[in-house]
Amino acid sequence: MNSQAFLDRVGAYHRDGWRLAIINTTSILPTEGMEHGAFDISWSFAQDDGRFEHLRERVVPGEEVPSISAFFGAAFLYENEMRELFGVNVTGIALDLKGQLYKTATIVPFSPSAIRARLDAIGRDSVGKKA
Amino acid sequence: MKRTVVPMGPQHPVLPEPLVLDLVLEDEKVVDAIPTIGYIHRGLEALVERIEFSEFGYVVERICGICSFMHGMGYAVAMEKIMAVEVPERASWLRLIWAEMSRIHSHLLWLGLGADAFGFENLFMHCWRTREEVLDIFEKTTGGRIIFSVNKIGGVRRDIADSELTAIVAKLQELGAGFAETARVFETDPSIRHRLSGVGILSREDAHAVDAVGPMARASGIRLDTRLTGTHFYDRLEFEPVLETAGDCLARVVVRVREIPQSIDLIRQAVERMPKAEGAPIDVKVRGNPTGETFERLEQPRGEVIYYIKANGTKNLERFRARTPTFANIPAMIKLVKGCDLADVPNIIMTIDPCISCTER
Repeated sequence: MNSQAFLDRVGAYHRDGWRLAIINTTSILPTEGMEHGAFDISWSFAQDDGRFEHLRERVVPGEEVPSISAFFGAAFLYENEMRELFGVNVTGIALDLKGQLYKTATIVPFSPSAIRARLDAIGRDSVGKKA
Repeated sequence: MKRTVVPMGPQHPVLPEPLVLDLVLEDEKVVDAIPTIGYIHRGLEALVERIEFSEFGYVVERICGICSFMHGMGYAVAMEKIMAVEVPERASWLRLIWAEMSRIHSHLLWLGLGADAFGFENLFMHCWRTREEVLDIFEKTTGGRIIFSVNKIGGVRRDIADSELTAIVAKLQELGAGFAETARVFETDPSIRHRLSGVGILSREDAHAVDAVGPMARASGIRLDTRLTGTHFYDRLEFEPVLETAGDCLARVVVRVREIPQSIDLIRQAVERMPKAEGAPIDVKVRGNPTGETFERLEQPRGEVIYYIKANGTKNLERFRARTPTFANIPAMIKLVKGCDLADVPNIIMTIDPCISCTER
């Protein structure tokens, strides 16, 4: 992803008075040509009058995703979650909890490889399709 | 000055659920607070891998025992949006009525817990006694007091007779009249004002900066309420959110106190305006598997909840995500705790009305 262009767009939302509503990550399972899978990340912004807009990026595991906590202070919570539950490489988080936000038995339980392993265990080739 | 770290939680007398905060103190002042969640993290979102979308509503409403109806409703509405299902009008009205009843019992539950936290046990008993009667209505109309399972993709599973709806409004108005004395105590009692007024102030600017939602935001003067968007039939009712401007612990209490009679009135309006059509359809058959994605927002008792659902045309969803209001209000809680006295931390945390089950979905 183009970090600077992304941050410019986030900054525009901040300047225009939007609030951060949710940051959501979806793991994309490994496929041919994308052997480690990917993450679909959406940053959603809301206005008090009901408007609701999103920025979206697809990144591969290890790729840097810049924190938006410099603009939206509350982003630190979503970003620590993205890192701990999904393994997204978020950099520059204003309040970096260094892996202490969640206590989970599985390391990065929602990463593409962790989901792949769970699906293998129940004999599925993808979410919702039987092998 | 030497700093001391005091762990608060996961077990603490004011916390009904296991929130953990490492409080960094200089003398009696809190200078930093590090949250940890995950003591009861259940990974419910990951269950979409195993449980079919048609059954997943049962999982969603188990995210939380207080907001269970609205979790079930949010999931059903989101799935109906993806699958382009038009729900019968009566089902939407019934959902609205149960949703507002959820707000009433949730606020009563919290007001009781809050009163207990600031040392007014008698008030706790009054609130919970009133709440029991709301739960009785739930039991009579849904069969459950905590988990209701009345929402389904395509509508609701149970109807309420028109005569029963009229009786419910009368009962709620009677409860509201009785609650007026309890509300007066919350708003005017000198010991409560002494304990909560001027404590844990979240200014309007700060509430916006930390993206607070629900009563947290409204107590700081922000007119933020998902019901204002007019979805889920709220555009058919006269509604103006309760606002306070002080932004302190007392303001957060007062907003919830005043939202109880407001919800009773919304139910009255709904019963008056919904077509008298007992026996009319309350659900439609839904066929096929969902494809697509959507976001859905609802105003739960604690504030805006957001669901994200992605479906790939199979029986299992590819992604289900719930961003609960407590999760959104954790940054506000940290902001409030920093700089306060250690003795005020429990009340500040309580006035956020934290639901850790929701946060640890």
